[in-house]
Amino acid sequence: MEREKVMENLQGLGKEVLAELEAGRSPTIEIPVRTLSNIKFNEVKEQLELGSSVSKRNFMNVAHSRKFMQTLLVAAWINKDLLSKNLHTSLRDMYYALKRTIPGTKENTFEDQHTESDPIVVDLETALDVLREELHLNADVRGRVVGNVVIEDRGDTVDWSKLGSGGWSIPSNVEDIKFKEVDAKYILLIEKNAAFERLHEDKFWKHENCILITSQGQAARGVRRLANRLSIEHNVPLYVFTDCDAYGWYIYSVIKWGSMNLAHVSNKLGTSNARFLGLTMTDIEKYGLEGYTIKAKDMDIKRAKELLKYPWFKHEEWQKEIKIMIKKGYKAELEALSSKGLRFITNTYLPDKIGSKDFLP
Amino acid sequence: MGSADEIFKEFKEHSVAEFFKKNRQMLGYSGKIRSLTTIVHEYVTNSLDACEEAGILPELEVVITQLGNDHYRVSVSDNGPGIPKKHIGNVFAKMLAGTKFHRFIQQRGQQGIGCTGCTMFAQITSGKPTHVVTSTGRGIVYEADIMIDVRRNQPSISNEKEYEQDFRGTKVTAEFKNVAFTRGEYGPGEYLRRTAVANPHAKIIFVDPDNQRFVYERAVSVLPARPTPGKPHPKGLDVDDLISYAIHSKERTIRTFLVKTFDRMSTSKAKEIETKSGLDFNRKPDSLKWEEAEKIIGAIEQTNFLAPSTKELKPIGEKQIREAIINVLEPEFYSIKTRAPATYRGGVPFVIEAALAYGGKAGRVINGGTRAEIMRFANRAPLLFDAGSCVITKVVNNIDWKRYNFKDVENTPLTVFVNMTSTYIPYTSAGKTAIADEEEVVKEISLALMECAREIKRYISAKHKKHERRNRKLTLVRYVPEIAHAIEDLTGKKKQEVELMLMHIINKKYGDVLLDGEEPEKEPEGGPEPKEPKPDEEEKPEGPEPEEEPEKQEGEEVLPKTPEGDEESDEVIEEED
Repeated sequence: MEREKVMENLQGLGKEVLAELEAGRSPTIEIPVRTLSNIKFNEVKEQLELGSSVSKRNFMNVAHSRKFMQTLLVAAWINKDLLSKNLHTSLRDMYYALKRTIPGTKENTFEDQHTESDPIVVDLETALDVLREELHLNADVRGRVVGNVVIEDRGDTVDWSKLGSGGWSIPSNVEDIKFKEVDAKYILLIEKNAAFERLHEDKFWKHENCILITSQGQAARGVRRLANRLSIEHNVPLYVFTDCDAYGWYIYSVIKWGSMNLAHVSNKLGTSNARFLGLTMTDIEKYGLEGYTIKAKDMDIKRAKELLKYPWFKHEEWQKEIKIMIKKGYKAELEALSSKGLRFITNTYLPDKIGSKDFLP
Repeated sequence: MGSADEIFKEFKEHSVAEFFKKNRQMLGYSGKIRSLTTIVHEYVTNSLDACEEAGILPELEVVITQLGNDHYRVSVSDNGPGIPKKHIGNVFAKMLAGTKFHRFIQQRGQQGIGCTGCTMFAQITSGKPTHVVTSTGRGIVYEADIMIDVRRNQPSISNEKEYEQDFRGTKVTAEFKNVAFTRGEYGPGEYLRRTAVANPHAKIIFVDPDNQRFVYERAVSVLPARPTPGKPHPKGLDVDDLISYAIHSKERTIRTFLVKTFDRMSTSKAKEIETKSGLDFNRKPDSLKWEEAEKIIGAIEQTNFLAPSTKELKPIGEKQIREAIINVLEPEFYSIKTRAPATYRGGVPFVIEAALAYGGKAGRVINGGTRAEIMRFANRAPLLFDAGSCVITKVVNNIDWKRYNFKDVENTPLTVFVNMTSTYIPYTSAGKTAIADEEEVVKEISLALMECAREIKRYISAKHKKHERRNRKLTLVRYVPEIAHAIEDLTGKKKQEVELMLMHIINKKYGDVLLDGEEPEKEPEGGPEPKEPKPDEEEKPEGPEPEEEPEKQEGEEVLPKTPEGDEESDEVIEEED
């Protein structure tokens, strides 16, 4: 969304409040409900999304009035100090910029970042249907990418194939990046940094003509949005490669279907045509990795049982995988593949899987 | 343990001195503190009774002066009818044996021996006579020193003076050793404070040993109606009562004694008793033995009598209690209940009056904090001692005060007032300091106090509601400048104008609550405030709804507690900043 449009929306919020005041009514701000009860899985779009419940933040209701005040403070500040000046900052900076003691009281406008100012930003994202990045509030930076892609970022042209061993560090805000050249058969998004390093050193992306991304754990918003844009705007398939455990699989789930915390922006962060490449329980058997597994902890099993129940994991193949894990009681890391030789992953495993299209939905 | 009535019997056979020494404890002269309070009680009771009997609104002054260690002078003066010269000895140096049996009448809780006890106590401890100044108001004042001639068991009067002066009343002054003054709840100050509460028709002045002066002004200028003497009802008797009446009776037979002495006792009822007890009633009543009296009481228990008349009961009265409570306690709120007359032990009539006073000077200040207090009265006389064994204390403690919104009743500025009026107060012991646990008495006290508590609860919750509304308004007003500022940033509307509009919205709902420096908002007459023609039907109830009932905070917003709140378990670390 254009910066001007976002500003207009923020100002619109203020205008609505003003209009109610002028009509002599208690002003309210409507915020879509983001609790579990209002998060639905859209089977058609294959996306987690918010339902239609809306909560009203009412000034005259003393249980709401503090939040009401905070919402307007955040909206006014983003509008005036970030968007109109075209500045970006972090949530922590915003918290400090807005925290002050209300004159004549011992009360602060904000007492805590995580429980007070952060949630207001998510409220505004949801209410105005914008990304946090579009409010010029950046999330953390994590994740790197290499591949035959040329982009333009804040006026600089960057060629992802000519960045040496480090690759391009994915920023929080990838909204304004322009893709000038994209030459790839597929995108391989890898949970583990070590596996990314291996493949990069082996020039896997060059031989295979693919884009390699590491999320370094749970995929940050920048990584998810970048993968989403590349895959959708340039029609490149997205394959996700994680550890063989409930947590790894959930990373895939977030990339593909969106997350519950950010259900309001699944359409921008979730890439529903993503496929799961590995590591699967079947792979462990097929490649003889049983000796390199780790005993699953109680939490792993509990988490796996939760996955079983999620509507978006109802595919037969997934149910089968998860059930095997619960039955066998072990899990495996990507690195288990190195037991077959350091380059086993580059030379055998990945070409094998991709060639035979051995994916999970 | 012997009762006061038995004491009287004994008294007839012993000298005042012997009697006093033997029965000090029961007469209230036990312990230094209690002795001093008892002395004040005896003199004050005497004065109040004398005034009331003569139809005079009492005005009393009590002065206690410290003369040395455990050594005090007590002086009590009244504006009563005065004591005729020839009776002085009887009042201050003789036991009026049998007083109680002359009339079946509700009395203040005299210890029977009254002022004579004080004279005796002064004489024993300080060796000094009791000085009396009195006049019946006919221009002649009489003054004398009074002692008790222990050997002859007679008053010994000396230093008599008579002179002309315009004065009416009695002033008695005596010195006591082995007594102690306290400001605590057992001391004379508290005794007089409570006396003032139960006797709003009296003006009471108290000057304590530090020369501090406490004045309890008269709150009502109508004398309490005098209780009319009546006969005792048989159902209220116990064995030694019966024997005492019998001893004093001049009737020839037990049968006529019963009929003449007791209420609702017809000849046929007396015959019924005779048959049931198996005794021969054709004897003189004073020949009645203890075991025989027991049989008669047993027979009375099995016999039905008409209920006693309650006309001799004269409770304090709701108006009087109200005036007294306002006068002495200046409470923020109070509630007073008088129960209808009831009977206990199958026939002793009594009335319970109860009151709760909250806030103001109610309660007792102890170590800077205000605690709840219980004021117990029997026929208007304050009961200070043995609180723990008194039925009033027990009932108060058994009430579930939390039900009446007293979360911490002990630390509440609350005075609990209970007065039991009866022709016969069931004391726990001859000391007459506590009322016994009679089932019907418990019930009446409970009902009276619970009724009062319900009223106080309503008041306090209304007060809390007001306080709550004020807090709400404060909360809203606090955010007004911040919100106005943000709206100005977002819309360009001037901050001051937005503030006015916000205040207007707040005052639509909380206009009745005025904050510091705030003036009531005037209704704009066609002013700039756009009046809403009709509330939007479509709209969900919101804003200052027309609700004035208890303001529950409607439907708490369903918002996540934190961004990573309860969903956390459903998701691996989403992101961190």
